[in-house]
Amino acid sequence: MELVRARVVANEAIMPDTHVLHLESAELGRAAAPGQFVHIRCGPTWEPLLRRPMSVYRIRREGVSLMVRAVGEGSAIIAASQPGEVVDCLGPLGKPFTVAPTSRRLVMLGGGYGVAPLVALAEHVLPRGREVVLLVGAATADYVFPADLVPPEVEYQVATMDGSLGHAGYVTELLPPYLDWADGVYACGPTPMLAAVSRAALTPRNALVPSPLSQAWRSGPGGAGSPPKPVQLAMEQHMGCAMGVCLGCVVRTRHGYQRVCRDGPVFSAEELCWEELA
Amino acid sequence: MGGPNLEVDLAPHNKLGLRLGNPVLVASGCFGYGTEYEPLVDIQRLGAICSKGITVRPREGNPPPRIAETPSGMLNAIGLQNVGLQRVISDKAPIWARWRVPVIVNISGESIGEFEELAERLDGVPGVAGLELNISCPNISAGGRLFADDADSAAAVTRVVRAASSLPLMAKLSPNVTDIVAIARAVEEAGADCVSIANTLVGMVIDVEARRPYIANVTAGLSGPAVRPVVVRMVYEVARAVRVPIVGVGGVTCLRDALEYLMAGATAVQVGTANFVNPRTALEIIEGLRDYLTEKGIADVAELVGLAQRELPNLPLSPSLKGRGGTVKLAPPSLQGRALGG
Repeated sequence: MELVRARVVANEAIMPDTHVLHLESAELGRAAAPGQFVHIRCGPTWEPLLRRPMSVYRIRREGVSLMVRAVGEGSAIIAASQPGEVVDCLGPLGKPFTVAPTSRRLVMLGGGYGVAPLVALAEHVLPRGREVVLLVGAATADYVFPADLVPPEVEYQVATMDGSLGHAGYVTELLPPYLDWADGVYACGPTPMLAAVSRAALTPRNALVPSPLSQAWRSGPGGAGSPPKPVQLAMEQHMGCAMGVCLGCVVRTRHGYQRVCRDGPVFSAEELCWEELA
Repeated sequence: MGGPNLEVDLAPHNKLGLRLGNPVLVASGCFGYGTEYEPLVDIQRLGAICSKGITVRPREGNPPPRIAETPSGMLNAIGLQNVGLQRVISDKAPIWARWRVPVIVNISGESIGEFEELAERLDGVPGVAGLELNISCPNISAGGRLFADDADSAAAVTRVVRAASSLPLMAKLSPNVTDIVAIARAVEEAGADCVSIANTLVGMVIDVEARRPYIANVTAGLSGPAVRPVVVRMVYEVARAVRVPIVGVGGVTCLRDALEYLMAGATAVQVGTANFVNPRTALEIIEGLRDYLTEKGIADVAELVGLAQRELPNLPLSPSLKGRGGTVKLAPPSLQGRALGG
């Protein structure tokens, strides 16, 4: 990880309040992996004070792209960065997604702009012979990740809360048909969504990870026998330093409080203490 | 060649001394155990590193949410999550012992006995250059009161630690008191080699949609540029009342802020929250200070200490401050203006 002053080469509005910043930085492009994030300063002054973590959306040799939704004052400043401007970046940071060498079929769930790291992951695994299903949920059709930005090899399905596009309801309701097909589940989005992914993916009838830790999630007598299936979740969390120092971004795990910035943002579903998170 | 002198001794009356290459430290809780920022920052050039606050036993800390951004600042209620004394001695101190930069271990206890145990066991441990007594963490509730809340208990902790350890002692004072001057005097009298002013200011933020406090611990400590004017005032007042060196802590982000503390009467500063935003802040201040002194023709950083102090009818200058040089007289014309320009 490094402190990098990266030049904005393009700023594309892809959804309401949502911009993709293409940053020129060979350092970031070389080092970044899907699931990692870049911690971005909001400007040269100390107001707003803290940097904002933005997950890596696309990785190229010459830089990275970040998907930035203006949800507050700081992210609005970052989302408005214009081509030619320089952005103060700290990164790449955090533990990336891992894909087992034997894995062939990945199902991914993105809630809102949580789709960003999954696009990076899909682009990473597709050339390596994997099949990908991407399920994306949003409040309304306006906030659905545009289909033309999804790599063509990906099977793409959409859910909206108001039913204005695709399935009417939660994105997690699209998951069950793919659970037996997939040998890995990857998700990023709001914590309640991740809890639902975890519940669905770790439930015995859906071929769960045969781990004693998943006992808590068994709704009935479990049918073991399926091979272990990784369920990897990228958590969203407010952060201070993002260097593992301030201990402000912790989540409760089976090994105690862990830092989302350093021990995450990608966690294994069965590591997380959902009874305290959801 | 003789550039300006940046060296300071924060424990001039302690046999071991606490001699730093420059007066810019990094504050406890804002730099981990020192190793975390090594990939980004040449930590050996720092004046000193104050470690994360440690306790006798490991602490897992408070439930989240633990932090919130506020206007020009942040609230935190981490709850002293730390690896505990044993692991500091076995895992961290051996690393520190190889460093040139001194590491001051910030210690925190729920009882005087715990402070005593920490002080005894850290005494003589290679890699530990001094102790910072955290008698002022607002986020652990041991009976709801802090040792730094009143002069008697602050002095009692300081006395016990003084007796248990020969290490230089820096007492970190709480700003959440009516009269910080009385407490500073009390810990000086009890044997503190220097004081750091101040810990975070207690505050809170309400989640108005959920209609409840946002931070799980309800109250939290405010830090960052927002607190600086409050703490500068405290340093200014304490500097008139004690002889031991003062370390100013609160919202230091740049050279100008550091100069403000020095001119108020601090011998050194700690950079805290600013590390989270720009991890190179302390190094930039050190370089800036060297250039500033050179440009102004000032031979020693000590000459800046207390320059802004004024004789006031209701705030008489202490004899110690008069002895520090440059205090009652106006700053030389060359120093006026630019210092607060920024």
